[in-house]
Amino acid sequence: MRRLGNPIAFAVLLVAVVAAPFLVSNYRTYQLAFVGLYLVALLGLNILTGFTGQISIGHGAFMGIGAYTTTILVVDHGVRDLWTIPVGGVVAGLVGIAFGIPATRFAGPYLALATFAIPLAFIGLLKRFPHFTGGNVGKNLPQLRPEFGWSTSPSIWFYVVCWVVALVMLPLAFFVVRGRFGRAMRSVRDSEIAATANGISTAAVKTAAFGISAFYCGVAGSLYAIGITYVNPDTFPIDLSILLLVGIVLGGAGSLWGMLFGALFVEFIRISWGPALLNLFSRVHHIDTHAPGSGLVVYGVVLLLVLYAAPSGAAGLVRGVTRRPAFLRRKDDPSLSDPGLV
Amino acid sequence: MKKTLLLVVVALAVTAVVGTTAGARSDATPGVTRTSILLEGTFPLSGPASGYAPIPVGMGAYFSYVNAHGGVNGRKIRWHYEDDGYNPANTVQITHKFVEQDHAFALVGGLGTEPQLAVRQYLNDNKVPQLFVSTGATTFDRDYAQNPWTIGWQPDYEAEGAIYGKYIAKNLPSAKIGVLYQNDDYGSDYLRGFKAGLRSHQSQIVTAQPYDLSATTPPAVQMAKIKGSGADTLVLFATPTPTIQAYVIGTKLGYKPANVFTNSVSATDPFLTIAEKSGSNIVEGSMSVNYELDPSNPIYNKQAGMKLYRSIMKKYAPKANANDPLNLYGVAKAWNTVQLLQKAGKNPTRAGLMSAARKMLFSKGKKNANPFLLPGVTTFTKGSFQYPISQVVVVKYVNHVFQPQGNLLAGRGALR
Repeated sequence: MRRLGNPIAFAVLLVAVVAAPFLVSNYRTYQLAFVGLYLVALLGLNILTGFTGQISIGHGAFMGIGAYTTTILVVDHGVRDLWTIPVGGVVAGLVGIAFGIPATRFAGPYLALATFAIPLAFIGLLKRFPHFTGGNVGKNLPQLRPEFGWSTSPSIWFYVVCWVVALVMLPLAFFVVRGRFGRAMRSVRDSEIAATANGISTAAVKTAAFGISAFYCGVAGSLYAIGITYVNPDTFPIDLSILLLVGIVLGGAGSLWGMLFGALFVEFIRISWGPALLNLFSRVHHIDTHAPGSGLVVYGVVLLLVLYAAPSGAAGLVRGVTRRPAFLRRKDDPSLSDPGLV
Repeated sequence: MKKTLLLVVVALAVTAVVGTTAGARSDATPGVTRTSILLEGTFPLSGPASGYAPIPVGMGAYFSYVNAHGGVNGRKIRWHYEDDGYNPANTVQITHKFVEQDHAFALVGGLGTEPQLAVRQYLNDNKVPQLFVSTGATTFDRDYAQNPWTIGWQPDYEAEGAIYGKYIAKNLPSAKIGVLYQNDDYGSDYLRGFKAGLRSHQSQIVTAQPYDLSATTPPAVQMAKIKGSGADTLVLFATPTPTIQAYVIGTKLGYKPANVFTNSVSATDPFLTIAEKSGSNIVEGSMSVNYELDPSNPIYNKQAGMKLYRSIMKKYAPKANANDPLNLYGVAKAWNTVQLLQKAGKNPTRAGLMSAARKMLFSKGKKNANPFLLPGVTTFTKGSFQYPISQVVVVKYVNHVFQPQGNLLAGRGALR
């Protein structure tokens, strides 16, 4: 089933992705494009956090590195934006490896704290070199325009770009987490001592996972810059890094398909669901829903409720609902013994 | 099982997009129906800039007041605003929603230099008015030719800088000036205006010290240099945090300039109170500028505009703190918006709204001045002059209230 499951699932996703723009409005298409790019970012972060067990609260900065790479190449050097997407990924990936070499000597919460330095330093550097980065004022990119002689709306064009990239990066992530390297990552996650005893260089595995996750986030960041058409230091706040981590947890750390939920959450909670819930609250009771910070309260409540109902994220919830009742279950049901490959 | 999972994912994706309210629109002009006009804006209701959250509340209060009195040409104003957290990435996405999903007639009062820069090109490409942005960055007024759908409202930083220059040239002709300015567009807008206002008195500047916003240490070296230069007049063109630091460091260095000028962004009672409580003894008597009635100063309580403001706030925004000048800023801006909507006529179009914005004259002489601005302040645009408000009065911070000093001054051109 596992061998057959992924291609079928992938085909269903493909159909859904192709069908979506025909079913929804122009603006929702634009939003779903962001879901695609967040999916790329979460896939990457999940390789580090979900599969290798290393928590990072700094990966928003790798999106920023990808975004700034694209921006500087497009605005200052006239490079076509599409070609800058892999460049953004590679630059972010190299920075990720460079950071990973020393940082992955830390374990657990110490690494998380070390990664917190990345967005802080990144924002500081952006402001320090205004001639290169545009400083506080930032830089405007060209507006979205369909290319290759295709006449469609800018939103649909952006949607296609994001999802083509996402649908390439998704199987790539499956490829990474399988096989020898995938096993090595999971063994580092589950027990570093046992992994070392089996001849795995935990530092090398962690550094490689760091680089791969940064590469994914860099690609997502390039897409982000192209879609937002503007970058400045405020565009990559520390919240973004935390939001990515929340997306992983809600989607289900260690599950690649779960990242679809995570990406939907990351995009829609801020822009659509949060305000809609606020609206609902204001009708239910006379709550001042325009008071500063009330959106964050709703966000927090939703987060707690989801984690209470589904502590292992959306993927875990689905696993729980769809698995066979205990008396029918074979003891070696892979959906229980190997959550990493659902 | 994975198939099931995927089906659930797809189902969720579809639910996520349900709620698509395209709405039946028969009119040619987006956002205008027979009974309503939709105006929208982005404001930071959360995050580091959430202090500005009262502005859209004040705007909403005034629109409710207008609606209760018959609306604009029989149409009620629908005012809707959302939180962008001062993150341009959010501003862009919400603005796409306003334009493509909600079909707003115009975006009004959008807050913040960078967030509004991020959507300027998009709005101009789509020919959607970006009316009265809530920022003083000069580019929103100056670059009207490249951005015909964008216009600012409040005095721009350059004009404000010019006021300090003119005031010093006239009232303190022998002062020795030390300037601390932020080393970016913001600070250089101010400094450029300041020099233009000083004109032949530019040599009074004995030192101008830049600081980087990214600097992790307070501008101590700069303050020491200003003190060492012998300047008796300190001019601060800085954002709130470095301004507070400069006040405190100045005192620690034993620096006691006779005059301190602080740009209006940082010269608010809360910020100056922090500086005082942090140990600065040079806050009292600081000079800045103002162009609105100030609800925290009782001398304006008899003004008709202030009475109207308080009655509107009491009825339509009873929970808000009416003594917060930001509410009044919102009310005054909404007043101006309603005037333009009326000028745009019975069948308003976006182009009609912008052409009304490009040729405004609301003045005491025409008996149609904005009642919430200081008496005599004109709102004026015409031809290549696209700086709606550029007249201010210098104010002095005494005992937590800003007291006006002398008459109105023109930051650009002559007084009208």
